[in-house]
Amino acid sequence: MNTKQFIESGILEAYLLGMSTDEEQHQVNQMVMSHSEISEYLVRFEKNIQGYFLQNAVPPPSDVRQLIQLRNNKTDITSKANHTYYDMPKDNTVKKEQYLDIEVNDTYIKVHKWWRPAFVAVFILSKIFLIAGLYYYFKAASQEDEIQKLRTEIAAPKR
Amino acid sequence: MNELERVNDNSGQQVATKNSAPLTTLEVYDQYGAMAYGIILQIVPQPHLAQEILVSVFSSPLLQSCNSYPFTFAVCVIKLARAKAVEAKRKLLTIAPFSADNAYSSNENTPELIFDLAFRQGYSPDEVAEKLKISKSEVLKAFHEFFKSPNA
Repeated sequence: MNTKQFIESGILEAYLLGMSTDEEQHQVNQMVMSHSEISEYLVRFEKNIQGYFLQNAVPPPSDVRQLIQLRNNKTDITSKANHTYYDMPKDNTVKKEQYLDIEVNDTYIKVHKWWRPAFVAVFILSKIFLIAGLYYYFKAASQEDEIQKLRTEIAAPKR
Repeated sequence: MNELERVNDNSGQQVATKNSAPLTTLEVYDQYGAMAYGIILQIVPQPHLAQEILVSVFSSPLLQSCNSYPFTFAVCVIKLARAKAVEAKRKLLTIAPFSADNAYSSNENTPELIFDLAFRQGYSPDEVAEKLKISKSEVLKAFHEFFKSPNA
């Protein structure tokens, strides 16, 4: 297929409008790289296509812009949260505008998930120490009684 | 000025490169928002739904990939707006499967009709060919003819 036939085949139009198959896209990429006329045609066609759709442009309501701005701010913050410390700027130039002001009006706090096993471990250890403490307390008390009894026996006069 | 610039590399071939700085979402919206809204309304005529689709186009992470797209931002926005609108339309209406009953007669196969079926109704070139009982190459040629015509 020569250059003229390729241009007139309409594959380029389908390619730019996102209606081409993977095979056709590959074919277009190869032709663009090897034929400057096709590359030039694509640039001209881009202008045509842009002009065509600009003729049918409809201004959207102003609220839409605000909504897009709000959604993109949220996305920016989410993507910034994935950055490491080393991605942070070294000087304190982070502006306040980069953060969303969130009004917090509840009494709950959020803690790290490691606090749960730590709390369970502390609870179990406290029970072990309590049981061990009671055991040794009563054991010491019984031994004390035994010693006292033996002393009494030794100190008692023989009949 | 077009964002594409022709440069000659060492092999003498011309390649397309984009030399402008990456645009922010709002800059893209200010430039191409009305165009995208017009495209979406052509595919989904309900204004409320069209506005939701418009927001999803300009909130999409795919829009940022337009910065590395080898062609103009306008073309990237056109593709993205059409893709989102057709997806929404498919979800809402579930495009009817083709049958012999809704096949068009050959004398109606104007480039305008073929472009309308493919771009606005969301049919692939293969599906349009099947629907109109013509070959796929004729469908693709009709795209070329459509943009050559004075209406386009």
